Amino acid sequence: MSKLRIALTKGRLENKTVELFEKMGLDCSAIKNKGRSLILHIPEPDIDVVLAKAADVITYVESGVCDMGVVGKDTIQECGSSFYEVLDLGFGRCRFALAVRAGSDFYGGYGTKCIATKYPKVARSYFESKGMDIDVVKIEGSVELAPLLGLADGIVDIVETGRTLKENGLEIAEYVSDISARLIVNVASLKLKKNDIENFIGRIERCL
Amino acid sequence: MRRYDKITPDGAKDRLFEQCEVRREVLSALSVLFEGRAYREVITPGFEFYDVFDSSSNYFPQESMYKLTDLKGRMLVARPDSTVPIARLVATRLRSHSLPIRLYYSQNVYSLVSGSNGRSGEVMQAGVELIGSNSSKSDLEVLALSAEALKRCRISDFRIEIGHIGIYKYLIGKLDCSDAQRENIRSCIESKNYAALGDLLKEFDSPAAKALGQLPRMFGGAEIFEEAAELFRDFADGELDEIISYLEFVYSSLQSCGLDGKLMVDFGLVNQADYYTGIIFHGYIKGAGEPVVSGGRYDGLIKDFGENLPATGFGINVDLITAALLQNGLYNAEKKKVLVFCAENDVSSAFSYIDALSQSGVTAEFCTFDTLEETESYAVSICADRICVVSADNVKIINVGGNADE
Repeated sequence: MSKLRIALTKGRLENKTVELFEKMGLDCSAIKNKGRSLILHIPEPDIDVVLAKAADVITYVESGVCDMGVVGKDTIQECGSSFYEVLDLGFGRCRFALAVRAGSDFYGGYGTKCIATKYPKVARSYFESKGMDIDVVKIEGSVELAPLLGLADGIVDIVETGRTLKENGLEIAEYVSDISARLIVNVASLKLKKNDIENFIGRIERCL
Repeated sequence: MRRYDKITPDGAKDRLFEQCEVRREVLSALSVLFEGRAYREVITPGFEFYDVFDSSSNYFPQESMYKLTDLKGRMLVARPDSTVPIARLVATRLRSHSLPIRLYYSQNVYSLVSGSNGRSGEVMQAGVELIGSNSSKSDLEVLALSAEALKRCRISDFRIEIGHIGIYKYLIGKLDCSDAQRENIRSCIESKNYAALGDLLKEFDSPAAKALGQLPRMFGGAEIFEEAAELFRDFADGELDEIISYLEFVYSSLQSCGLDGKLMVDFGLVNQADYYTGIIFHGYIKGAGEPVVSGGRYDGLIKDFGENLPATGFGINVDLITAALLQNGLYNAEKKKVLVFCAENDVSSAFSYIDALSQSGVTAEFCTFDTLEETESYAVSICADRICVVSADNVKIINVGGNADE
């Protein structure tokens, strides 16, 4: 078989993916004792594992330098374009939500609303689908601050338990979409290495 | 004010030396092939009226086209594709031409790119259009030609995958859904997003929904046709059978054209569903993360320009092929060069000597330095093979780094 290369999103998704791989019977010792290496090897099946930031996983898979990738649906929605999204891996579950100051009416009044978010594309396309004009402010850190400081009327962000929101006097106005980790595959790789990739996907499916 | 006078815009780049040479080799191999098969070259303008691409706006979204205006304020676009302009050309300038018409092109196409993902906004495309025939022979000709084109570019590790848009169109037609739902379903099939496709189809409890849900999984070799027979058992009106058996006929005909092992079928090929009307195909090569060949039958397009003509064709991304050839080292890097030096009054002898050398296939560079000493150190810096010192009656050869001989 030809060697496969898979990119994993560093951090929490990486740990969950390693758990999944071990359940499939793969030898992940190289990943667990990685030190500072960025490319790690799984002996059987012959796979190179690349650890990368979420958005970079998409870049690597889309360009074809990695055959497959594990990445959150949030990143796919924000940066994705052309690749196959073949499996919902079921872990890393959370949701995109619109949150506002507790008790405020986001849709009230005539003024153009302002949304603070780390995910400008997700926010824009959500309100575009509602046919609603909004201003988007890209925030890098704690998005919850923006409505508290009066910069924005609401935020679009990832919500897991909603505790951070509650502790900062915000509440969920509505859910935008569900998020979980996905297995993505390069378009050409799936065709050129069909058997190897399908076998691998099959092994994952049996362990989900 | 910051000046952008030393860099190129996003998506644009300079090409140097071997990039140009390999690209020219690819282009000339392709034009030799196409002309040998009676295709004739056309060149369409680099910019066209926006209206030409407006009717087909679904496949050329306005946000991805470069726009300009003419002196009357009319909107123009930098050609995002060659097939639509050729459809315009055929419907207007070749109306009385006998059919079928075989045309080929090699020209740049343009699209707006973000610039931070390494994509190119200027892509050299070569391709053919076979217009005025809807026979299976024309489908076979174009498909076989696309494989031959890759071979002529010295690419041996490739796959051609074939699909038929009719399968999707038939099944989606049986589903009572809104336009938005239809587009969502189509895009999930295209991205092989099984999970989301399953969710979308949940509300339709019909054989068509079940079959659509399986489409993205239906790719591979000839075994797919057996699976198809099983999957499409519930559709007995013959329409779908006809499409599948046509696809099977095309597949097996191409196998017997020496393409066994290079072919795949994918029932989930549903890209640009409004544009294609029959066979769709893609070509993949090692070292390129996206299709390098894209083609199919588009019987409705020329009608947009007033002539009802069936057509089929494909385009090849020459830049991806060039990159793959360079990356795989399928290019003989530096050719040996000869440096020709002469005294000022022997220039005419030197020029005729250079002509003789270059006619025999040797690259000869005329040395513009005044002294032999400068010439020798320059010869070392450009790794020249040897220096030829030409005078009116003889030529002295100096091997670079070695001794002179007559």
